[in-house]
Amino acid sequence: MANRMITLEVFRYSPEGDDEATFQDYLVPYHEHWVVLDALNWIKDHADGTLSFRWSCRMGVCGSCGMMVNGEPKLTCAVFLKDYYPSPIRVEPLINFPVERDLVISMDDFLAKLQAVKPWLIREEEEPPADEYLQTPSQLAQYQQFSMCINCMLCYAACPEIEGIPDFLGPAAIALAHRYNLDSRDQGQSQRQEVLGGEEAVWGCTFVGECTAVCPKNVDPAGAIQQAKVASTKDWYRHVLLPWGKR
Amino acid sequence: MKRSNEAFWWSLFSAGGVMAALFMPAFIVLTGLVLPFTTGGDADLDYERAHQVVTWWPVRIVLFVVVFLSLFHCAHRIRHILMDLGLRAVSTVVAALCYSGAAAGTIAALFVLGTL
Repeated sequence: MANRMITLEVFRYSPEGDDEATFQDYLVPYHEHWVVLDALNWIKDHADGTLSFRWSCRMGVCGSCGMMVNGEPKLTCAVFLKDYYPSPIRVEPLINFPVERDLVISMDDFLAKLQAVKPWLIREEEEPPADEYLQTPSQLAQYQQFSMCINCMLCYAACPEIEGIPDFLGPAAIALAHRYNLDSRDQGQSQRQEVLGGEEAVWGCTFVGECTAVCPKNVDPAGAIQQAKVASTKDWYRHVLLPWGKR
Repeated sequence: MKRSNEAFWWSLFSAGGVMAALFMPAFIVLTGLVLPFTTGGDADLDYERAHQVVTWWPVRIVLFVVVFLSLFHCAHRIRHILMDLGLRAVSTVVAALCYSGAAAGTIAALFVLGTL
């Protein structure tokens, strides 16, 4: 068992010297219970210490280890070598993001988009109440699914619209904005609507649905965007038909 | 950020999708199966019965709404497909062509249904 091997074709790029990215093949021991991240860690420890990639929890919670595995956006801690063996596995950084080094992408643009939708509870009053805000199970159920996002960015790599419209707010940020809009404790919908109702936000989406297909936490960002479109449409008609009303 | 007018076009697209999904299969069953199979293959009788149904004013109104919204649904989808295929640089022209096509179809439907 131990002498069975599998090839990983790994994307390599160094900003210091390389003009172009290359692929480097590594022969890695094959174990049935190993995931792609285990193989990458084996390379880092035993074959090539210069290989750079992000990872942390190894259990699909932190969202750090998202990469393209044979062309599909995956959490590398959740895809097993046995699903590809004996064929080689090609590992690349997530597409639609600038590459910093090897398998590490720049998250700056994504983080700016997340921040733009104010993903926190917004209250109108200055001081929070002495007691906690109570919520019924049905109020929790309204948004709970959309709160499971781990910011792994697989949906941004899967989305064909991001490629065409780089400023598109994108699935995770819209789903998160929608999550807070649906929260009974939140009063910030009109503030978020300024961002959500724009051309590069909900209207950039043509409901391809790949974001939902690749989401490892079953958040259904495509569903969130469709619901946000309905909310944005109501807001538009309210604004046009009742321009004197409260936004 | 400016409130996008896309909401208006999307509301027509969305309503058109619902209308098409809800009514088109029923129309196909009625005009394609029920009418021909209940008149014993008499084409004149088929026409008479279909004409009677379509010229009833509530049916004219329903048909007009279904056709009008389905056309705008179609125009919106074609517009976005064309933009995805690389015509984003001329998006205003694409939008104008698609929606004016749907508007022309709507006027034609209004004329046909009004003069039946």
